[in-house]
Amino acid sequence: MPVLNVRGATVSYGGRAVVRGADLAVAPGEAVALMGANGSGKSTLIKAVAGLVPLAGGSIELFGTPQKRFRDWKRIGYVPQRTGAASGVPSTAAEVVSQGRLSHRALGMPARRADRDAVARSLAEVGLADHAHCSVDTLSGGQQQRVLIARALATDPELLIMDEPTVGVDAETQAALAKVIADRVDAGCAVLLVTHELGPLTDRLDRAVVLADGKVVHDGAPPRPVGEHADPAHEHAHPHANGQGDSDDLWGGK
Amino acid sequence: MILDYFQYEFMQRALLSALVVGLCAPTVGVFLVQKRLALIGDGLGHVALTGVAVGFLTGAAPVWTTLAVTVAAAVVMELLRAKSKTSGDVALAMLFYGGLAGGVYLTGIASDKGIANLQQYLFGSLLTAGWSEVWTIVIGGAAVAVLMLVLRPWLTAICADEQYARASGLPVAALNLLLLVTTAVTVSVSMRAVGILLVSALLVIPVVTVQQFTRSFKATMFASMAAGFLISGAGVLTSAAQDVPPGATIVLIGVAAFVATAVVAALTRRVRRTRRGHLPPEGEPLEVELPAKA
Repeated sequence: MPVLNVRGATVSYGGRAVVRGADLAVAPGEAVALMGANGSGKSTLIKAVAGLVPLAGGSIELFGTPQKRFRDWKRIGYVPQRTGAASGVPSTAAEVVSQGRLSHRALGMPARRADRDAVARSLAEVGLADHAHCSVDTLSGGQQQRVLIARALATDPELLIMDEPTVGVDAETQAALAKVIADRVDAGCAVLLVTHELGPLTDRLDRAVVLADGKVVHDGAPPRPVGEHADPAHEHAHPHANGQGDSDDLWGGK
Repeated sequence: MILDYFQYEFMQRALLSALVVGLCAPTVGVFLVQKRLALIGDGLGHVALTGVAVGFLTGAAPVWTTLAVTVAAAVVMELLRAKSKTSGDVALAMLFYGGLAGGVYLTGIASDKGIANLQQYLFGSLLTAGWSEVWTIVIGGAAVAVLMLVLRPWLTAICADEQYARASGLPVAALNLLLLVTTAVTVSVSMRAVGILLVSALLVIPVVTVQQFTRSFKATMFASMAAGFLISGAGVLTSAAQDVPPGATIVLIGVAAFVATAVVAALTRRVRRTRRGHLPPEGEPLEVELPAKA
């Protein structure tokens, strides 16, 4: 039974279909990349899977349960795309990561030892154990991205959904994150990764699904780099997709 | 000296109500600031005027009509924000205009109570509050503070990153509604004594004052409760000594505290940056290859 099974999903924004009849399945322990150019609908499809945008057609099953009846969200770790929404009140890295444990706690109940351990472990996994009590807006953009990944890891997910986790992250951090993700895949966690570029994270994929104009145009072996991208010495350098590098990110930091 | 004023029972009542509002209002305010809804307290306060006028008109106790009207407005506002394309600040603007106009209009119909009577709710009258009003504030304030402290992690999650909170299956809509209803309760319970202006100021000012120095959400919440308590206490004492309205004095002291800490925070940051002490965020390697020098 696949952990995620999307059949003929259609999502539209204001009458315009952004995702058109897409099929996407992820088996337990499988690492799948969802690729495509900007505007191909990959982020929208991911948001529909995470329950953030409604489907206009088709169906989504999570762990064999139709999404509408699915309640076991703690089995899914979600890493949102970093946005420009700044938050007003300071929070420490540990506080942000502990949000990932809320789905394990009954409303109003205090954190248990298992919750605190999971938070400390996830921060250590992404290399931020020393920064647990730093305010997130004093962290660099790459570190903030790692905090968001640690938050998803803290839920001990069986399916990890990541929306462009490497945008604005330097090559060294990308390699470190690839190792963290690979360890989770080895431990049996399925991964669905949205990306528009090949990099360390895409090295150990089982499969790639490529979207173009809201439709699946490829489902199979991950694409290989071509042209100058295939050169191992190629330094991938380009302005980041959000156009403003690391400034003005999710936590309003510098 | 100043303490002599507190042999009068009306001064004791004034001090007690102000301290309780100062202690409890920031527990709600910290989430409102996080959610960028700092003005919501004021917006619901304007709606509370309509509630007071409904009380005048129907002869019911204003505190209950106000509670009903503000809670209803909070629910409508949240539904508008969540279900339609109305943005938070547009919904807020509607609360301001509609609430004030409704209050004046309905008071006009109930012609035996003047607009002046309405004004008493805008600025409050700490000194004329009776014991029953003080106890309403104490019980209401305690309930609000306990609820906010217990639900802190969940409310933080929905205020900081609503999308993530939804993706992790939290009851986001219910928690959003709970936060707004709690705000409505805070405003309507304390407005008769301390006034709409003061309660909405005490929701926000202590929080934005202390957050310039705090690093964690938890510390911000507790420090803002302490700051609200101190600001209220200092305000009542000052107003007693100078024989001026306590509500306005508390707000002015709060604003002064905010400006002072903002200046001090800016200066400390500059000093830290020019000297050593605070390590800069660890550098990230350059992603471009620099051209070799010829």
